[in-house]
Amino acid sequence: MDRQGTTYTVIFSFIVTFAFVFLLALTNQATIGKVKLNQETARQSAILSAMGISYSSQADVVAKFKNIKTEQRKGVTLYTTTSNGQTIYAAEFAGGGLWSTIRGVLGVNEDVSRILGLQIISQGETPGLGGRIDEPWFKQQFTDEKIVNGQIQINMHNAGTPDTSHDNGEVDGITGATITSTSVGRIVNDELKTLRSVLGGNS
Amino acid sequence: MSDHKPATVLRENVWTSNPIFMQVLGICSALAVTNLLINTVIMTVGVTLVTGFSSLTVSLIKKWIPRKVRMIIQTLIIAFYVIIVDLVLRAYMPDVSKNLGPYVGLIITNCIIMGRAEAFAQSNAPIISFWDGITSGLGYMGVLLVVAVIRELLGFGTLLGYQIMPASFLPWTIMVMAPSAFFILAFIIWIGKTIQFRQTKGATA
Repeated sequence: MDRQGTTYTVIFSFIVTFAFVFLLALTNQATIGKVKLNQETARQSAILSAMGISYSSQADVVAKFKNIKTEQRKGVTLYTTTSNGQTIYAAEFAGGGLWSTIRGVLGVNEDVSRILGLQIISQGETPGLGGRIDEPWFKQQFTDEKIVNGQIQINMHNAGTPDTSHDNGEVDGITGATITSTSVGRIVNDELKTLRSVLGGNS
Repeated sequence: MSDHKPATVLRENVWTSNPIFMQVLGICSALAVTNLLINTVIMTVGVTLVTGFSSLTVSLIKKWIPRKVRMIIQTLIIAFYVIIVDLVLRAYMPDVSKNLGPYVGLIITNCIIMGRAEAFAQSNAPIISFWDGITSGLGYMGVLLVVAVIRELLGFGTLLGYQIMPASFLPWTIMVMAPSAFFILAFIIWIGKTIQFRQTKGATA
């Protein structure tokens, strides 16, 4: 058969494509369980951290997540549990950053007067700049932060050094990532508004 | 062609015709993934493996590839290996996979891989093609690691996440951003070419 002819080319391309795609499908099938499990534990551990619950391993995450109740209220999925006699809530959020959709979890107390914690599930911001919203020093600023006038302020004047006060409702942004920092502020404040309307807390 | 000796291939790919500073290929990823050393290590290992195995595969089936569709078949083979790398990272190294994000998929667009498949694997035996791919990857890796060490050290004051610089050190934000890689790369090309120029001059004199 003519190796440069059309018939040969079509048949060859078909067979090669089929073989490679078939192998890929097999690999995908072989790893999909593990990938799904990783994603699920990543989501669960984010919810736990946002509620201020610590965990040690993947198995511990699964065990502790069993104590978290999931409920639907006004179309919002809420995760809830009691900690030290207080009912606490967490909800997943999503919003636009500079390049990507930032997804995460926000934990709040019962009357939405304090943020318990913020965790990022996925983001595709500039690595090393906006991507630093996923670094502990940035996220820890939200831990136990008081909500002032119903919102959180992102402070860009003193960006780069974490704001250590947890009663001023202020968080320091990231140097060189103004848009990502302020986007996180906007997304968090939108989510606080939603949570207030769902939980009926006072603003 | 069977005049390619493993040692010659190694020297050419890592030094005399290094893909980054002699052929100026794969610059896009050299800018994007070099601000943290750990990301650079994973990325360059990925590129090295993909280059090696796609060159091997292209060389194995080159006899049967019609000339018309040769490039698209090469792209298919490269994409195949890149997706495998991506799946393995997702399943076994979820944290690294999260850090690298879209860059793993972008290995496909790395010109070095296609360059080696087209320039070497198309006309050489499988084993030496595999070696050619691996050594090209090593040449790429060497330069990127140097860039990454400089960028992470000056941009964050750390290496592999460990604090190296004293606490009073003020990080250079420019080093975190892509333009700094242009400057560093230019210096590396300058130094590399100067040394090579001296060597050839020394050899002819």
